[in-house]
Amino acid sequence: MVFDEGLTIEEKLKILSAAAKYDVACTSSGVERKGKRGYVGNADAGGICHSFSSDGRCISLLKVLFTNQCIHDCKYCINRCSNDVVRTAFTPDEVCTLTMEFYRRNYIEGLFLSSGILYNADYTMELLYQTIWKLRNEHRFRGYIHVKAIPGADPALIEKMGFLTDRMSINLELPTADSLKKLCPGKSREKILRPMRQIQTGISENRNELTLYRSAPRFVPAGQSTQMIVGATPENDFQMLCVAEALYQRFGLKRVFYSAFVPVVPDKSLPAPAGGPPLLREHRLYQADWLLRFYGFEAGELLTEERPNFNVLLDPKCDWAVRHLERFPVEVMTADYPSLLRVPGLGVRSAKRIVMARRTGRLEFTDLKKFGVVLKRAAYFLTCQGKMMTPVRLEENYITSQLIGEERKKTCEFENASSFRQLSLFDDMHLEAPPAPQDAKKALFGEL
Amino acid sequence: MTVYLCENGLEGIFCGVYEVYADRQPLSECRLSLREEYEPELFCSYKEIPLDPAKAEKVAKKVRNHMSMEAYRALSRAALHKSPARADRIFRFIALGLSAGRQVMQMLKEPAVYEILRMDQYVKNEAHFLVEFSRFWRQPSGLYCGTIGPENDVLELVAAHFADRFPDMDWALYDELRKKAALHASMGALVIRTKITEEESRLFDKNISADCYIKLWKTFFHTIAIEERKNPRCQRNMLPLRYRKYMTEFQP
Repeated sequence: MVFDEGLTIEEKLKILSAAAKYDVACTSSGVERKGKRGYVGNADAGGICHSFSSDGRCISLLKVLFTNQCIHDCKYCINRCSNDVVRTAFTPDEVCTLTMEFYRRNYIEGLFLSSGILYNADYTMELLYQTIWKLRNEHRFRGYIHVKAIPGADPALIEKMGFLTDRMSINLELPTADSLKKLCPGKSREKILRPMRQIQTGISENRNELTLYRSAPRFVPAGQSTQMIVGATPENDFQMLCVAEALYQRFGLKRVFYSAFVPVVPDKSLPAPAGGPPLLREHRLYQADWLLRFYGFEAGELLTEERPNFNVLLDPKCDWAVRHLERFPVEVMTADYPSLLRVPGLGVRSAKRIVMARRTGRLEFTDLKKFGVVLKRAAYFLTCQGKMMTPVRLEENYITSQLIGEERKKTCEFENASSFRQLSLFDDMHLEAPPAPQDAKKALFGEL
Repeated sequence: MTVYLCENGLEGIFCGVYEVYADRQPLSECRLSLREEYEPELFCSYKEIPLDPAKAEKVAKKVRNHMSMEAYRALSRAALHKSPARADRIFRFIALGLSAGRQVMQMLKEPAVYEILRMDQYVKNEAHFLVEFSRFWRQPSGLYCGTIGPENDVLELVAAHFADRFPDMDWALYDELRKKAALHASMGALVIRTKITEEESRLFDKNISADCYIKLWKTFFHTIAIEERKNPRCQRNMLPLRYRKYMTEFQP
């Protein structure tokens, strides 16, 4: 291990952002805060992405490690102590200056600070705390801050940190305790879950306090999130999804992120996926995650012990629908909102639009199209005033084959160019004029 | 068919609507166009409507009270849309809203409402894109400058966001297509200036060597991507090509 003292700020930034890039979470959502004279910055509840890197992921925060030195030897991690890479560390002032200067140029929405473990958990956490304290108090920064809590750090430090940050997260890393023991010898399930529970309790106590005193300081107002690695260990999709569901229900998490395993350090206990990182699997998990959080589904409805993995050919919602044809077709004019949400091809926005628009007029399939319903999928499951769009046999095999024809094009893209779109909550928005096709045309004719 | 030619902007269009009703003509025989953008047609008589803030305010008040604040906001954003049909669409919406009242915003099935919502959404989306993708750079004088080239006239919406975000900073955001700029002085208010001259616009010509953080940002932008997951199509879906011309990380 080489610890290099004489690096420039640019070299440090290069090393410490490259070391942080495998962390997925880069959202800046969940807290609304107006600007204020004498301070710099505000926060938007919907989150603001500032750029998209060449892998198509959003860049919203300055995502860096404080240091890439680490006492742990987690097998999958690029910063594991037995890996021979150049080690360096920022100073608190360097992190603050970078954050402020990037923020003023509208490059970023705030800071996402994580760190390898230097000496021990408390020492590292104390360093992170000093940095964030400076940023909030000396630089008067009111933008978004996301900090990783270091597993095993003193609860008092985590509590102090919570009052300065917007979001905190502790990575679960692997869905089961066994896998964790195998790949992360220095961590234990208990060490990860304890601070997670502490933050959850802190948030709910703070909520009570806020109802009494409106000006009370806010504790982790944008909630906490976590991350799991997909495909490094033998767990199936059902186990992953059950863990995610438990985290949402029992730990009150805002988000669970999934990260397709990228082999960066060879190790005999790690798999070497032949076709690159398992991106399709990660995509299916995100789709299912959305169904859990916004569409009223439960993990047990989507997968079971007998069918523990997602259908490669169909998205989880279509897959569920063709196995429950007894609940379809649904009548657009009378169905309640939860049953509309369960129709493939309908999203949160289009379902809300239907509920709103049907109060003042009868809806036709042409109207639904305008509201952003994907009729290619929805046509098999909806009726408008008692009629289906085209005569359809309500029969599992027939509909499945029709839907797969449509889905195959998409999965094909995955396998070849891996060109999936990142999910966004309102993905089904068609009411806006989509920029992509016209841009493609422009690019083709060289008009840009 | 009578075509009412009104001034650009929400006030101008509202004046046109006022005159249509003042003339008591059948609505199907009237149309609104913008004086700056119309193309003459056969069998139409044209009538130019001058700007009159008092008349515009009467229409605005009617929209707010009879329909809703939400409807008023949607119209004010739709007026920023690039479509030459925006004046007439706003007129059709108000015509429907006068009979439908408070529930007009829910009547998504009606083309008059649907078109307005679509324009509103499109303008909102572009404003949001620019909140995300506008870039400032620091001049040696301490002024932060940015240039944009939006399809719709969203400079005011975008500038309002930055005024809240950077209350104590000197910054200027320049719409190079419409030759207008939002200027913000640290202790003063936000000012929108139109008709920026060639000479003044030179202030916004980027001088890369003047700001050392440009290079640092490019470094960060390139190292944060994961090579094994390269996906330019996804990147283009999320970040349309037309904005990249103005973005630090895509500039040479």
